[in-house]
Amino acid sequence: MPVLRLPKFGKPVKYAYITGRVRAMKTKLIPAEMYPRMMSMDISEIARYLEETQYKDEIDALSKDYSGTELIEHATFSNLAKTYRKLGEVAIDEPRFLILEYLRRWDIWNIKTVLRGKFYGASDAEIMKYLVPAGELDVEFLDGLTKKDSIQDVISAFDGTDYASALSQYDGKSLATEENALDKLYYFRMERAVGGTLSVGGGLLLKYVRREIDIRNLITLFRMNRAGVEANIIQDNLIPGGKLHDELSRMAGQPFGEFLRSLEGYPFWSSISDIATADVQEISRIEARLKAYLIRYAWALSNYHPLSILPVLGYMVSKETEVSNIRKIVRGKEAGLPAELIEEQVVVA
Amino acid sequence: MAVIRGTKPTRAVLIGLKRRMKVAQTGHSLLKMKRDGLMIEFFEVLNKAKSVRAELVEALIKSEQRLNMAKAIEGTVAINSVAYALQKEPTIELESRNIMGVVVPKITADSVQKKMYERGYGIIGTSAAIDEAAESFETLVDKIVLAAEVETAMIRLVEDIDSTKRRVNALEFKVIPDIKDTIKFIGMSLEEMERDNVVKLKMLKGKAERLAAEEEAKKLKEAAEAASAEVAPPVTA
Repeated sequence: MPVLRLPKFGKPVKYAYITGRVRAMKTKLIPAEMYPRMMSMDISEIARYLEETQYKDEIDALSKDYSGTELIEHATFSNLAKTYRKLGEVAIDEPRFLILEYLRRWDIWNIKTVLRGKFYGASDAEIMKYLVPAGELDVEFLDGLTKKDSIQDVISAFDGTDYASALSQYDGKSLATEENALDKLYYFRMERAVGGTLSVGGGLLLKYVRREIDIRNLITLFRMNRAGVEANIIQDNLIPGGKLHDELSRMAGQPFGEFLRSLEGYPFWSSISDIATADVQEISRIEARLKAYLIRYAWALSNYHPLSILPVLGYMVSKETEVSNIRKIVRGKEAGLPAELIEEQVVVA
Repeated sequence: MAVIRGTKPTRAVLIGLKRRMKVAQTGHSLLKMKRDGLMIEFFEVLNKAKSVRAELVEALIKSEQRLNMAKAIEGTVAINSVAYALQKEPTIELESRNIMGVVVPKITADSVQKKMYERGYGIIGTSAAIDEAAESFETLVDKIVLAAEVETAMIRLVEDIDSTKRRVNALEFKVIPDIKDTIKFIGMSLEEMERDNVVKLKMLKGKAERLAAEEEAKKLKEAAEAASAEVAPPVTA
């Protein structure tokens, strides 16, 4: 694992400004009571409603290229990227550093998408359509990446960065190892970056990051244990770190029933206990519950220290949840999924 | 009566036709047996095709549902991105097998069902919804391959049943009756020719007898005239 050198920030760390901006941005989020109303609207009505919100510019700009659900999905992603970039721009010092570290997940997403596109042989324009420049890597850099001729050229573009070691794991046959290495790198960096802060709320943010790692590992365990994958392969796919890494690692490869029994008593168990049974058909339902649990945990933390990184984290999670909720409703309606199924996936405070 | 055109009513042709008749009747009964056998086989394949088709439709609905679910949860952006990571495209191998002389395909699909970690995408950064969609589509591809095999076999069997049926009907309603009629016609022609010959012979015989009688009568007359000339005294004046 690469060693992350943390920048040193002067004291006092300026959180008043960024939290003030975040509070103002939070007022633009879609209120919780709108989601049930959106459930009863049709897709064009939802698009019209979104035009009255912060998504107007993106819907107007993208309406010449997309329509219907595609338009809403691309517009919401585009707005998410714009909002996150704005957060990074208005923040300074430690908050900026932590925000960019958190948003690096989108850089990882974009790198993975470019690599997958190159692996498949998709065109530059096609790959660009699926990029969400919400992280540190800007549109110009990503555009340059998509124009590279081969995967090796893309990998070479990251020489000298922390990504290089993860990207060097590409074996020419599959991207899986490399993708996992990138995700592990993200959480490694995040845990180290948050662990290095001395500001108020840093401890709680670290707790959140560790819980996120635990939840991600738990989801991996659910998926792979259910599929009957061998323990050593599962352990390779677990993210190092987190609070429960050793305990979860021991659960790898367990028979599914036994695995479920060993989860009883953990704080997340109550959120999945009613659907986590030995004969469960769809792990995605359990995953949705666990993700909702994590989102609610982030929201709960965001109220602890008003002048800390926690409200910013709460906002970033809320924004991502909003985009995800809109997409779930619109896609669900388009596909004619039952309302209960959509409601189960939508996370509302 | 439908007589085979251009048939000469000769004994050699009659013998040839009788031989053909025997072959046609044997062929007819064999083809009838083949048709019945194919029908039994067809109904078995049909039942299998029905159940495979039902499973295919069920798998298709499930796959679409799961894909829609994955699209809703992860977004098409994520789904398309993950789809690019597909390592190995499935291939099919075509062999053939024989059902009562009908060559039907045997299709074997390779690299369709994959283990979760062999699909080419990283596990950590993806979700269970993507696994479920991928898994259900893998099952769907397997069902499509199986349906293609069974339904092609069924189509081939139907085609063969159809052509066998046409052959049986042709033998039963055209070839055999025609040969029968032709045999009858040749038989009648030959009898007619025989009767003709008898009449001709009789006529010839009558003519010969008549000639012989005339000859005899002529001879007798000449003899009588000669005898009367010898007996009569010379006339003196």
